[in-house]
Amino acid sequence: MDYTIGTVAPILLFPLAAFVINAFIGRKLPRQGDWVSIIGILLSFGWSARIFNDFVFGHYSSDYYVHKVFTWIDLSYGDFPFQIDLGIYIDNMTAMMLLMVSGVAALIHIFSSFYMKGDPRYGRFFTYLSLFTTGMLGLVLSENLLSVFIFWELMGFCSYSLIGFYYEKEEAGNASMKAFMTTRVGDVCFLLAILGIWSVVGSVSFVDIYNHLASGAFEGQVAILGIPLASFCAFMIFAGTIGKSAQFPLQVWLPDAMMGPTPCSALIHAATMVAAGVYLSLRMYPLMEAGHLTTFIAYIGAITAFGAATIALIQTDIKAVLAYSTISQLGYMVLGIGVGSYNAAFMHLITHAVFKACLFLSAGSVIHSLHDHHTHGHVQEMPRMGGLRKKMPYTFLAMACCTLAISGVPFFSGFVSKDRILGDALYWGITGHHAHWYQAIPPILGFAAAFLTAFYMCRMMFLTFFGEPRDKELYEHCHKEKLSLNRNIPLLLLAVFTLGVWYSGSLTGQGKVKVAGDRYEWFSTLIEKPNTSNFREYTKEPFGLKDTRGTVHFEKSHYDPSHGLSEEEAHHVHTAHNIGAGLSILVAFLGIFIAFLMYIRKSMDPGFWVRTFHRWNKALKEKYYFDHLYIDVLIQKVLLTVNRLLAAFDMGVYDRFAIDGMASVNRWLYKAANFFDNFIVDNSVDLTGVSVKFLNVASRTVQSGKVQFYFMVLILAVSFYILKISF
Amino acid sequence: MFHKVLIILSSALTVASAIGVLVTKDIVRACIFLFFSLFGVAGIYASLGADFVAVTQIMVYVGGVVILMLFAVMLTGGPGKESAGSKGYLLIPMMGNKITFGFGIFSGLVLLLTMAKITKSVIASVTISEVEGFASTVERIGSLLVSEHVLAFEISSILLLGALVGAAMIARPRKNV
Amino acid sequence: MFGLAWYLGIGFVLFCTGITVMIARKSIVAILIGIELILNGAAINFVAYSKFVTQDLDGHIFPLFIIIVAAAEAAVGLAIVIRFYQIRETIHIDEATQLQS
Repeated sequence: MDYTIGTVAPILLFPLAAFVINAFIGRKLPRQGDWVSIIGILLSFGWSARIFNDFVFGHYSSDYYVHKVFTWIDLSYGDFPFQIDLGIYIDNMTAMMLLMVSGVAALIHIFSSFYMKGDPRYGRFFTYLSLFTTGMLGLVLSENLLSVFIFWELMGFCSYSLIGFYYEKEEAGNASMKAFMTTRVGDVCFLLAILGIWSVVGSVSFVDIYNHLASGAFEGQVAILGIPLASFCAFMIFAGTIGKSAQFPLQVWLPDAMMGPTPCSALIHAATMVAAGVYLSLRMYPLMEAGHLTTFIAYIGAITAFGAATIALIQTDIKAVLAYSTISQLGYMVLGIGVGSYNAAFMHLITHAVFKACLFLSAGSVIHSLHDHHTHGHVQEMPRMGGLRKKMPYTFLAMACCTLAISGVPFFSGFVSKDRILGDALYWGITGHHAHWYQAIPPILGFAAAFLTAFYMCRMMFLTFFGEPRDKELYEHCHKEKLSLNRNIPLLLLAVFTLGVWYSGSLTGQGKVKVAGDRYEWFSTLIEKPNTSNFREYTKEPFGLKDTRGTVHFEKSHYDPSHGLSEEEAHHVHTAHNIGAGLSILVAFLGIFIAFLMYIRKSMDPGFWVRTFHRWNKALKEKYYFDHLYIDVLIQKVLLTVNRLLAAFDMGVYDRFAIDGMASVNRWLYKAANFFDNFIVDNSVDLTGVSVKFLNVASRTVQSGKVQFYFMVLILAVSFYILKISF
Repeated sequence: MFHKVLIILSSALTVASAIGVLVTKDIVRACIFLFFSLFGVAGIYASLGADFVAVTQIMVYVGGVVILMLFAVMLTGGPGKESAGSKGYLLIPMMGNKITFGFGIFSGLVLLLTMAKITKSVIASVTISEVEGFASTVERIGSLLVSEHVLAFEISSILLLGALVGAAMIARPRKNV
Repeated sequence: MFGLAWYLGIGFVLFCTGITVMIARKSIVAILIGIELILNGAAINFVAYSKFVTQDLDGHIFPLFIIIVAAAEAAVGLAIVIRFYQIRETIHIDEATQLQS
């Protein structure tokens, strides 16, 4: 397949065109232009599918990549090269991301046409959706950090607009501001990282960075205070990830992001915004390794996974549970990056995107059908639901699949990916040869979070769909769900893809049961850590209308069960993975079982645990006081104190001495000047009057406003000028 | 012979009418004098072998611009007169005053000197060739317009469009005045 | 006798006449007429030079463009005159002194 403007650019341009059309003439189109956005994203999905097809079914090689550029800015001068390229970098990861993003976004678009129906700003919602999707697709296609940053910020803006979509509500406005400001902290760090990388590489292209990493250009470079430049850049890029993917300690914006409409939450939490941060860290994985940052990353990921899972335990809002589970799952991905489980972290990104999108859309379906006739609002509180299984069978089916997937039940996608991360974490932290004592905590936190995940997700399911309806009136008013194209079909389609068989031919995720012949582990085969030495000799190819590459024939990759390790090491790794699989199945079922006891059999009383750990409960309700820390302490105390200090300096020092001192000097001067005035100036004032009068007459004549006079002056001036140069 | 008669006649017409524009009291008459002057310029073009330019001059200037001016004069209250003095330069109507007149003459003198200085060498080096009849220049001008001067040609079309729209916009009567 | 100097002389006379008209006449329409005369004086020079010096047709193109510009200018200028008349009910140039302030 050719990789030219005609085959790659449409992925980006179709949603962009939909955005432009909807932004300008969307109101005049029938149905407020939602079909423009939907068709745009569907076409984009089609083009993405072609690339996916080429990569997975055509080449099937882990080394294959396409890198094409065109010059955007060229300010080179002499020996100082300053050239910024734009272009595409497509490898297996990009191809899969493209398919995932456009596919999930397409289904969310379709669902939105159901969920947002009747909204006064229906058309505007689709306009933002198109722009948002454009941002993510562009980020995935980008070949350098600068264009990643551009699309990154574009998504930041879109999330701001979408979270604050119901801007009449004050919380929505605050939430959008909070999301924007919090991610901004990470963005600034990301920008610093770009500058740091530029200082060494002289380019921000991924391929150039890999190339310089392989040739050791980062070694010995020091940023500031003796910090190695590689560590500095890696940390700053990871700080960008922390902001965008809502990791500890910048996780505070994501729960508030559910103020937006539910489909946009699905888009933010699944396919686009938060995935971008993890995607960036995966892309820059060689830099993270070179910067020796992996342990730190693993800790951040584990803390996030566990902390968010604990907060999710006590949430009563159905979307809040999902929001915290998103943070928790993102923590797993980051943990995967930290423990070197590159493949599984990326797989979890994909599987999580699918099941989380489905969960959010299902929650949207539930919320939409529960209409409170007293407040005329939709109901999101789980204590008022219950027994909805009979009213909404299709939503129930989809949500049940996703819950099983996220809980880590075998045969579902979540198990396949999460189990690999946990297995790798176990090997990295406890059973491996290089495991230090301080590396033991992340895997333990990971398993604990897996247990909590299974528990709170099943709690959500049981509270929503099982048992007796707790709010009879609400239940009676809820209509029986009918199978409809834009409500249930997206859910069920996504639910189908929560089955593990799509991602790993071995149903248990351990490479033991082979169902699809040679390609039963296509995901593990294709996604590998970027081997930087492969990029040592490469030439940039122009990105144009024609494909100038020769045909590349790669050897087709094969799945290597021992991951390229020696026999003994591989044995250790497999042992760790078997233990990990057993443990994760155990904790998953334990969590489900406890939730079953608590909320269906009612043989365990949740209130007992709340009373026993009431202080913890309070901490969880306050989200570990992070909002308190940021708003009340950091902003109110620290920043305001600094503010007041500056004000005091202003008033006390500057005002008293500088201003008042100046005043007394002035008073003295005034007396001197007064004398001067009375005796000297007064006498010359009359003279001044005369001279001003004279000047007045002169300038008034010149500025007569008469065109002919101006023209005459012009002619004279030109005449004298010519006279001067001629004679 | 015909050629020389053409040159003398059209030159005389041009110069005489231009001076007529300058001295006439009546604005309508000034327009008519301008008409003749431009007609004379067209004759000069013809005598220089520029037949296409001559025809364009007659069509656009004489047929268009002067008629437009006449309309403008009529729309703005018809022929207006201003009192002229009794002698000397004051005979020339509607002059501003001595100063403007003096400046005008002075500027003309300066220009004459300048032009003489600049064009002296050119005139000296010119070889006066015989007029090679009246070969048509239309075809060559046409191909020049769409090859070498195509950019200016296209820009002039935009200019004309802009002038059209602009003139309509400006002259449109507004209610709030 | 009828060489380059003759034509340049005619162009010069037209030019000077135009300038005098522009400076001296007090009617806006008359000023526009002066502009036309100046433009024609310049255009004659172009054609004369192309005939006697460069011997090609480029000099014929310029009068064409001058005519185009003059037509556009006359249209806009006269529109301004009419507008001015609508507002001030005169076309005396000394009334147009808004540039002063």
